[in-house]
Amino acid sequence: MKAPAFSYARPRRLTDVLSLLEKHGDEARLLAGGQTLLATLNMRLSEPALLIDMQSVQELKDLSVAGNCLRIGAMVTHSEIEASPLVARHAPLLRMAVPHIAHRAIRNLGTFGGSIAYGDPAAEWPACLLALDGMVVARGLNGERRIAARDFFTGLYTTELAANEIIVACEIPLATTTHRFVFDELARRHGDYAVVGLAASTQRNDGLLDQVRLAWLGVGNMPLRSTATEQVLQGQRLSDALLAQALETLRSELQPEADLTHSAAAKRHLAGVMLKRALNALGSMDAQASSAITL
Amino acid sequence: MELQGSVTIPAAPQQVWQALNDPEILRQCIPGCDEVRQISPQEMHARVMLKLGPVRANFVGKVLLTDVRPLLGCTLNFEGSGGSAGFARGSSVIALAPTAEGTRLDYTAQASVAGKLGQIGGRLMDASARQLANRFFEAFKAQVTGSATSERPIAVAQASLSSEGLESTTAAPANFPIMPQLSSASSSPQTENWFDKEKPRLLWFAAGMACTATGVWIGAHWLR
Repeated sequence: MKAPAFSYARPRRLTDVLSLLEKHGDEARLLAGGQTLLATLNMRLSEPALLIDMQSVQELKDLSVAGNCLRIGAMVTHSEIEASPLVARHAPLLRMAVPHIAHRAIRNLGTFGGSIAYGDPAAEWPACLLALDGMVVARGLNGERRIAARDFFTGLYTTELAANEIIVACEIPLATTTHRFVFDELARRHGDYAVVGLAASTQRNDGLLDQVRLAWLGVGNMPLRSTATEQVLQGQRLSDALLAQALETLRSELQPEADLTHSAAAKRHLAGVMLKRALNALGSMDAQASSAITL
Repeated sequence: MELQGSVTIPAAPQQVWQALNDPEILRQCIPGCDEVRQISPQEMHARVMLKLGPVRANFVGKVLLTDVRPLLGCTLNFEGSGGSAGFARGSSVIALAPTAEGTRLDYTAQASVAGKLGQIGGRLMDASARQLANRFFEAFKAQVTGSATSERPIAVAQASLSSEGLESTTAAPANFPIMPQLSSASSSPQTENWFDKEKPRLLWFAAGMACTATGVWIGAHWLR
């Protein structure tokens, strides 16, 4: 199928994007990478009067270190994140998550900001942003504001972003030497939407877990953190007993929604598998680190 | 797909039943609904603009009421068409019961999708249906609670009352931008005629729409 007729604007300046959005309101849709929107148009599930393409707005394509944050412009593509040495160094969790995002052709076009604004509960970036305590920088004609990731996602495809605002960038605190990250996800085929996935971040202080963040994808109607399970792990040393306790808490904490292929019970089980793998991975990172020191 | 839930509304069953049979209240509570037309006492058609994620689709739905038990509940059979995207059909049962706090409303719904929608599969069908149902019942609760305290049950100005009554975080922001548009649409003489006519049992319509609407939805999802 083909998209219905629409007008198209490709402004070069951010202020023009914002004025167009203000002027046309609900009739206009913002076009970032188009990997969701264009398919929706082709299916005629949406018929906007105007598409505002942000491809020519250079200031949205910046990927840089600003102060103690990594700043990822909204129009930075998944592939650019994959290839960036800055990301690999300062936000390794994103580097780990990229290969799970769809396929090469989609990664070449899809954008970080688009994924965050869309807020799909099974998408990788929203969960990563949550695990990393990131901030969303939103701008409207009235100015700019910063929204913490944990406040940004409010429900199924709904976010804190106002109708006349756009995401200009996301800011992620720089990883330190004590940070450890794990990303893992289960999908029916590579590149499919996640059945269950986990973006985990923690700090290691003298072998103890600190600042644990477990952000889940695919288990709810938005990216979720399991704070009760995080509390169980907080300040503890990794052990089999701790793992068992964490699993028990996780299973009572998560209330997954069934989809066509997986029941809620299956998802809850798989989330437990993800947690077990993540904690084992953290354990083996410690083992490697300590053997490196003894050598 | 199956959906069930329960809401407690702080009003007598009598009031709840009346509200459920009031097309204007229902029209205001159904997310994105802009027109309700009664075909016969048991059948009505409605047009809904579904806005969720990237999807903004017009939906035409048909609802048939059976097993009507005044003040106790009824069964709704519904089908909805999203144009070329396919269609969905199903049924739902709604039951009212008086409680200490007011009235408990239990609902269950089953739905299936066909055509292109069916092939695509509903990755988030349950979640979207639940979201739409929650939005409906939060708005409905606010309407009933609001009308209980005022002489005229369904004033357009009620919209502001509802916003105070809402507790759910998802319902309030999602519904509010829609309300003013709906109110202005209702002022057209044509639509008022329908509503002045005898009260149909539009009731269930919402859960019906929730399920059918999800169909459209799904469309957006297989795409990646």
